[in-house]
This record gives sequence, C-alpha cells and structure tokens, in this order.
Amino acid sequence: MDAGLIVYALYLAAIYGLMAIGISLLWSSVGMVNMAHGATFAFAGYAAYFAAIWAGPLAKDWLGATGWSQPALAVFIGLVAICAGALFGVVIYLVAYLTIHDKQNFPVRSLIITLALNLATVQMLLWAFGPQQKALPRVFGVGRFDWLGMSIRVDQVVTIVATTLLLGTVLVWLRHSRRGLEIRAVMQNAEGAALCGISSRKTALPIMMLTGALAGLAAVLLSQNVFVSPTAGVTPLIKGLTIALLGGLGSVPGAVAGAVLIGFIEAATGAIPFLGQRYVLFVQFTFIVCVLLIRPRGLGGLLDETRE
Amino acid sequence: MAPQQQPEKRFYEVGRRRHEITLMPDGTEVWRRGRVPLTKRHWLAWRGVSNPKSLRRERRLLDKRPLWWTIGLGGLLVATPFLSDQAINIAAIFCIFSAINVIWTLIIGTAGIFSLATMAVVGMSGYAAAAANVYLGVPWPLMMPVGALVGLVLGGFLALPSTRLDGLYYALLTLGVAEICRVFVSQIKALAPANGSINQVDSFIPADWLLQRPGLLLGFFAAFALLLAALLVFRLINSERLGLLLQAAREDEAFSEATGIDYRRARLWVFVLSSGALGAIGAFYVMFYRSISLAVFSLDQLLLLFAMIVIGGLGRSEGAVIGTAIVVLIDKGMLDLGPLRIIIVTAVMIGVALTAHNGLTGVRAQFRNFRNRKKSERRAARTEKGGEVMPEEATEIADKQQVYYRLFDKRIRDRLKAQITPELIAEHKAKPLGQHSDALDRVLNYFRRGEMPDKYAILRVGEYTSSTYKVLAFSGRPGHPPRVVDDKLYATMDEAYHAVFLLRVNDLLAS
Amino acid sequence: MSGKLLNIQGLSAGYGPLRVLHEIDFSVAAGERLAIVGLNGHGKTTLFRAIMHLVGWQQGSIVFDGTEIGGTRSLGEGRRTPGIVRLGVAMTPQGDAIFPGLTVKQHLDCGAYTKAAWRDRALRRDHVYDIFPQLKEREQAYVGKLSGGERRMVSVGRALMADAKLYLIDEPSLGLAPRISQRVVDALIDIGLDGRAMVIAEQNVALLTGKVDRMIGMHAGHLRGDVGHVDLL
Repeated sequence: MDAGLIVYALYLAAIYGLMAIGISLLWSSVGMVNMAHGATFAFAGYAAYFAAIWAGPLAKDWLGATGWSQPALAVFIGLVAICAGALFGVVIYLVAYLTIHDKQNFPVRSLIITLALNLATVQMLLWAFGPQQKALPRVFGVGRFDWLGMSIRVDQVVTIVATTLLLGTVLVWLRHSRRGLEIRAVMQNAEGAALCGISSRKTALPIMMLTGALAGLAAVLLSQNVFVSPTAGVTPLIKGLTIALLGGLGSVPGAVAGAVLIGFIEAATGAIPFLGQRYVLFVQFTFIVCVLLIRPRGLGGLLDETRE
Repeated sequence: MAPQQQPEKRFYEVGRRRHEITLMPDGTEVWRRGRVPLTKRHWLAWRGVSNPKSLRRERRLLDKRPLWWTIGLGGLLVATPFLSDQAINIAAIFCIFSAINVIWTLIIGTAGIFSLATMAVVGMSGYAAAAANVYLGVPWPLMMPVGALVGLVLGGFLALPSTRLDGLYYALLTLGVAEICRVFVSQIKALAPANGSINQVDSFIPADWLLQRPGLLLGFFAAFALLLAALLVFRLINSERLGLLLQAAREDEAFSEATGIDYRRARLWVFVLSSGALGAIGAFYVMFYRSISLAVFSLDQLLLLFAMIVIGGLGRSEGAVIGTAIVVLIDKGMLDLGPLRIIIVTAVMIGVALTAHNGLTGVRAQFRNFRNRKKSERRAARTEKGGEVMPEEATEIADKQQVYYRLFDKRIRDRLKAQITPELIAEHKAKPLGQHSDALDRVLNYFRRGEMPDKYAILRVGEYTSSTYKVLAFSGRPGHPPRVVDDKLYATMDEAYHAVFLLRVNDLLAS
Repeated sequence: MSGKLLNIQGLSAGYGPLRVLHEIDFSVAAGERLAIVGLNGHGKTTLFRAIMHLVGWQQGSIVFDGTEIGGTRSLGEGRRTPGIVRLGVAMTPQGDAIFPGLTVKQHLDCGAYTKAAWRDRALRRDHVYDIFPQLKEREQAYVGKLSGGERRMVSVGRALMADAKLYLIDEPSLGLAPRISQRVVDALIDIGLDGRAMVIAEQNVALLTGKVDRMIGMHAGHLRGDVGHVDLL
C-alpha cells in the first residue's frame, strides 16, 4: 500500500463521512431517516455547476493575473453548494418535518416523504437538465506533488483538509454552543425541552440546514472525481446510510470511524487486481453485514460500551 | 272502535348504524350457514342479534370486506377482456405487482420484519428458474416450483440476521441485498452472457401467441390466478395459526412469550414461507415476460413497489392492492407523460403520507378516531361532574335504567345540597351517632347507600387503649388497598366520624 | 385584573373523554407563595399542565401578566409551551422531565435558555448552587446517574435558572425520603420571591402547613377556598 492509496482512502472517508454524519445527526436529533439526502447532494451539485459556469469567466477576468482566481472560484463554488444544500434542507424541513412532527407514526411517514422527495427531485433534475453528466472545473487544484517519494494528488489533500476542518468546527460547535445544548436537550426529552422554552420545531430547522449544507459540501468535493448528474446522489446516499448504520445510527464518532473504515475498504478493493472497482459495493455490503451480525448496534454501540 | 281510523304505522330509521346490512329472518327458521369446503370457516361473517326495540331477530354482516373484494376483483375479471390490448397488459402487470405486494405485506405487516429485499428474492429466483429452463431444459410447468425452492433458500439466508438486528437497521441492510445480487448475477458469465439478461425462456403462453390478443388474455388470466393464489396465501398465513401467534406478539411481546408463544420462530416461518411465495412469483414473472434482465434489481423498481404499499397502507392486503392499482395506473397507464409520471407518483405518496397515518386503507379508522375524539372532548367539556346523561351519550348506553338512575341521583343530590347548612354540620358534630333531625337523616341515608369508591374508612393507629384515628379512602378497585387521606389524627371515634361526614359533604358539594 | 400575575377563569381541561378540571377560577398575585394541596388524581398536575398547554384539551381563559395564554387549543400538545415559558412561567414537572445524558451544569444551562438569562447563566448557576450546595460537587456528573433527591434538586434548580415571574413546582416531595423531601421543600420556602410568585402542588399537607402564604385545597377538579376538612365552611 502506498501513500497515494492512503490519501485516496482518506479522501473517500472524508466525503462519505460528510454524508453519514449528516444522516446520523438528523436521526439522533430529529428522529427521521433522511432519504432525501441524495437529492440534496444532486441539487447542490447542479447549483455548484451553474455557479462555476457563471463565475468562472468572471474570476478569470478579475483575478486571473494574481493567480488567486482558482482558489477564489473554489471557495465561491463551495459556498454556493453549501447554501444550496441548506436551502434544500429547509425544503425537507417544511415538507417532511413541520407538517407531521408531532403526529402519529412520524418516523415511518417522514421516511416515506423524504424518499418521495428524493425520487421527485431526481426526476425533476432529469426533466430539467437531461441525463447528461456535467463536469465541474477542477478548482481544488490539479496535478500531484511528491512527498517522501510518493506522488499525491493535490485536490484530494485539499478535500481532506477542508472536510476535517469544517467537520471539526461543526462538532466543536455542537458540543459547546447554546444551539448544541438545545439540540441535545430536544433529542433526550422533548417535553422537558419545551418546559425550558426550547421549541423542537425551531431546533430542527438549523440541524436540517446544517446536514443539508454538509451534503452540499460533499457534492462539490466529490464532483471533482464524479460528474454531476441527476442520479449522482444515489450512491452517496446509500453509502452514507450504510456508513451511518455501520457506525450505529445516531453516533457521530461511530459514523467517523465507519467512514474511515469504508474509505479504506473501497480504496483497497479498487487496488486489488482481481476484485477491481466493480466489486466495491459488494465488498462493502458484505463487510457491513458481517459487522452488524456481530454488533447489531454498529460501531457506535462499541464506543458507548467502552466508555461506560 | 273502528280499526280503519287508526293512523297508519310509520317507522323512522333511528340509531347510528342504519347503513349496516341487516337481514330480518323469520324467527322460526333454522339458521344454516355455508362453510368453506374442507374447513370450519364461514363464507361471510353473519352475526345473529336480537333487536331490543323491535324484539325481532336480525342478522347483521360484521365484515363487509369480502363483498368489496368480490366486487373489485370480479369487476376486473369481467371487464378486462373487453379492453384494448394495452389495457389488458396493464391489468396483467397490475395483477403480478399486486401479488408481489400482497406477499410483501405479509413480511412487513404480519411478520413485522421490515425487509426491502423483496425484489432481490423475486429477481434471484426468476434468474434461477430461467436458467433452469434455458440451460437445464426444465419444462415450464416446473419453473414455479424451482423458483419457490430458490426463494425458500434465499428467505432462509435473509431471515438469519432479522432476529438480531433492529427494524431500521435490517431495512437499510436489505436495501444492499439487491445490489449484491445484481453484482453477483452480472459476474456469472455462464448464467447471463447477453448483458446480464436471459432471453428466450419457455412460457405458459404458446410462442406463436406472443403479443397477440389471445396471448395477452391468457397472460392476464394467469396473472389473475396468481393474484388469487397470493391472496389465498396471505389469508392462510395471516389469519390462521401463524398470524394469530404474531398478532398476540404484537399486542404484548413479553406476555405472549410467557404464555409459550415463540413469536421469533413464527416470524421466521412467515418470512421463509413468504420468500418461497415470492420465488414462485419470480418464476411467473420470467415466464410472463419470457426474459429477465438486471433491471429487476434496480433501486427505482424497488422504490416504485415501496410507493405502492405505502400509498395503500402498510400491513393490509387491500392496501397493497389499492396502492398497486393507483401506481400502476399512473406509471403504465400514462406512458406519454414521460418523467412526469414518477413525479405524480411521488406527489401522491407525499400527499398520502402527510394526511394519513397509515395509508389510504387507514383513512377510515383515522377519521373515526378523530371524530370520536372530538366528540368525547366536546361532551366532556359540557358534562357536569356526575351529572345527568347527555343525549348523545344516552344512545350508547344499552341499559336505559342507567340513564334514569343517573337523572334521579342528580335530582336527589341537588335537593340534598340545598339542605346542607352550617347548623346541619354543627348538629352532626355534636352527635355523630343517634337520633338526628329530618334533614340530617336524609343526608346520612344518601351517604349510606353510596357506592364503595365514594366511601371512607377509619383506621385506628397505635394501642387499643390510647388510640387515635386516621381517615382512609377506598380505592374502589378490588385488590387495591385504601389510601390515607391526609396525616391528620383524630383523638376520638366521634371526631373521626365527623371528619368522614365532612369529607362526604365535600364530595357531595363538589359533584 | 391589575395586581394579579396569573388570573384563570372558567378553566376546564381533560384528556379525551375524561374531564379533570371543572370551571376553575384561580388567581395568583405577584410576590405570593401558595400551595395547592389535594389527593392524587384530583387535578393538581392537570392544572399546571393546562397552564403550560400540555393537556389533551382545554378551554377557558388564562391571563398571565396581561397576556391571554388560555383559550381553546387547536394546535398539538406542547406547541405553545415554549412561548409560554418565554413569557415567564417556569414549571418543574411531576417526576422530573430530565435529560439523562446531560451533565448537571448543562442541565441547569438549559433552564436559562431564554436569551436574557443565557448571558448571566454563570451567575444564576451559582445562585442555584447556593440553594442546593450538593449540586456544586456533582457539577460534571450525568443527571441520569444521580439519586432521586439530587435529580429533584436539578429539576427544581432548572426552573429557578429561568427568568421567570411565576414558578410552578409540581409535587416536590414525590417519591423522596421524608428527610430529603423536607429539605427540598425548605429550600423552596427559603427562596426570596421579590415580586415573583410560586405555586407548589403537594399532596402532603403537613410538609407545607404554616410555611406558605395561602393554601388551596383541590378536590375532584374543583378548587376549595381553604384546606382541611374540619373548617370546611
């Protein structure tokens, strides 16, 4: 195994982690499985694509001489995708949460609604933009550099660093801010939270926007490797879901651990000659099935127990 | 008196269930009920009742669903031969998907295992049956048993983790099974050389009838028979022994386990049997289309099926069929709409999930619950405590004596309340036992014939010689001990008597 | 209505077909500490929950500090509760609505959730620690692992953290050993009110006798002017 592979694995882990943590966080705080996460991903991907088309020439005009045009464009596209993801989060909040959150059977019904939203968004994107794949400009750097004698791709390193920083910030914020406290309070006892003046409806909105934004970020980062298309969200959604499961739904550390594991497995499977890319999903699912058979609550359960 | 002067007798339909199907058999007639051959079951759930008003014998149909099933399926069977070729095809597809969904309902509703591996089972057994036919030369009548066998084996494998995993975990895990199957099938080059699909499978439709009207009709009738068979399987599993065991487990898992019901095993049985049925349907699916491709395993196909059972309502066979009808009509009936079809389906899905707690078939129960809740709330807001019976409540009390008793009791209480004065209380305080004035006697008499939950007891605390007393309130429920009213101690028996009297007066005034 | 902090008129409430409160009229003046006593199941908790909009159905007027918060509820249970809390009502529910996975400190911070109270939460926390010194030692412990008495203290402390004008304390002695419940109640009595009001619901009359400004009996969904059946009329 060379360093390129390790970096590639970490790169995948970063993106899947963004998706899985979003799903896990939403499940633990709001109590819904967000099947529309893939739609958020695709939607944000398209938003980033159009932002790149619009802002690309502008950036070249204004900043082309200084050499800052690429980083500026990257930041801009990233921001647009994050905003688009958050916006989609608001839509999910309005449709699937606000209307039925205190009604009967909420978990199943919200799952159905988000699933329907996912299907509808994919179809609408297909309708509006056609099935062609769109390529985002390579704004996160191109080429490779040598480190300790091994060549490493720049964009992957940028992705890993950006994700780690952002996720770290978010997790620290959740741990220490008033909002984070509010989210955990609602999660543990909704009525008690109401008696403290915390409205579960007002708490759910930022968390939905946050998870949407994470999916948007994942969309931009992954679009460096994979093209933007209406169905682009399906694979990340399934991977995110399974990683969230592997980590134990609702456990953020579990999701991180699961993402790293799955990233390594995917990188390794791709590299082993007789398995190859086609078997990636197969190997992953088999691995997850095995883990879940041994630990029905996922890795998160393991972490919980060791902490006790 | 001349009989012709009597006004003509007129009957008004009163009561809350006028719409019920009611027969008025002759009182002397012997009741004969048809039974389903070889079983003790009756065809229809007739119940004999006696109408307390007319004093006549009546026969009421408790469960009208068999009638709806007959009308719906019979209508489909009769109408389809007169439709266009395309419509016949749609009807056949509806029957196949309905059959799949009915069996799937068995897994989700009856067994309570949230499995999404349905299409994986259908597809794998379809491939197995097709391969058996094409490569091994198994004749087509044996394809369905082959499919069922493969389904059973697959079901056995899939059932293993279901007891260990939580519902949601299992659901999301089985999503992946389809993917594993797809890769598995596409990698076996010998199985499916042509792009992962097997073509030229033998079928119950003769080859020269293919895409002709007789062929289409034959396909439809076969699919209809398949649907009937699926419904029969549903009925046999859901409402017979296994289903009852599982129903008991759904009500109270711990208690049913304590009575010796091994519900986990029952769940596995239902799962494995249903998988076998799905396998047979998979073989039928191959025969119907004469080919099978990797599209069976696609997520979109699964989601479409999921939309069907979700729109109809999880856990009911009629829901599965109605949901399938709606989605198939939109998806296959409006082909010229293009991608808009799926958007309409999702809109229906969202609409149903937003308004109905449990699909379209749950709407009726949901509305009734809502109406009853509102009604009881309004009634509760209007009733005085212990007051007379409200008119709409009176229709629900079978024994009308109760209504009059409560009216009477209310009047007595109103009268007694007026008689309670400080003098009366002073009189009781002075002499709790013995001769009393008329008013106090009436009050005490009323108290004496009160019901047990309204009464109090006196408890002696401490030694017999230097005793003090406490007041207890009866719980009114057998086996539940009285509770202490408060910590107050009374030095003499008379004081305690008076305390009880005051409590009763308090209750009387509060009522 | 002036001078009254809370004014309830004709309040009825219940759950489904069960009617628990019958046309209650009830008011609390600012600076008052009063107790509602009565047996289990006679509507004390329901009265509190009706004020917080947490019952099945309710009707009647509740005026708190000049704002109408009563009326017939059409929204779901608990939807209006956060708004009422923000108006300045703090309630300690029966049997501690606690967050088992939060520490004592975080738990108390939750009580000071309103923006104004959040800023000086450290100050308020110290105030609560003054009242319940025991909590100071266990500041970082998870609430789920505390003993019953400590939990009750956290629960009461959380209500005290809020910027409230009216405290509703439901059954401070429920399920506690007599000595501990006496301590909790004494702490409640010792809290300076200066313009705020406190209502304590309690079934053990002896705990509160002589310690509160006013004692109201509650019986079968009606309020009785004064408690004790001996001086009923």
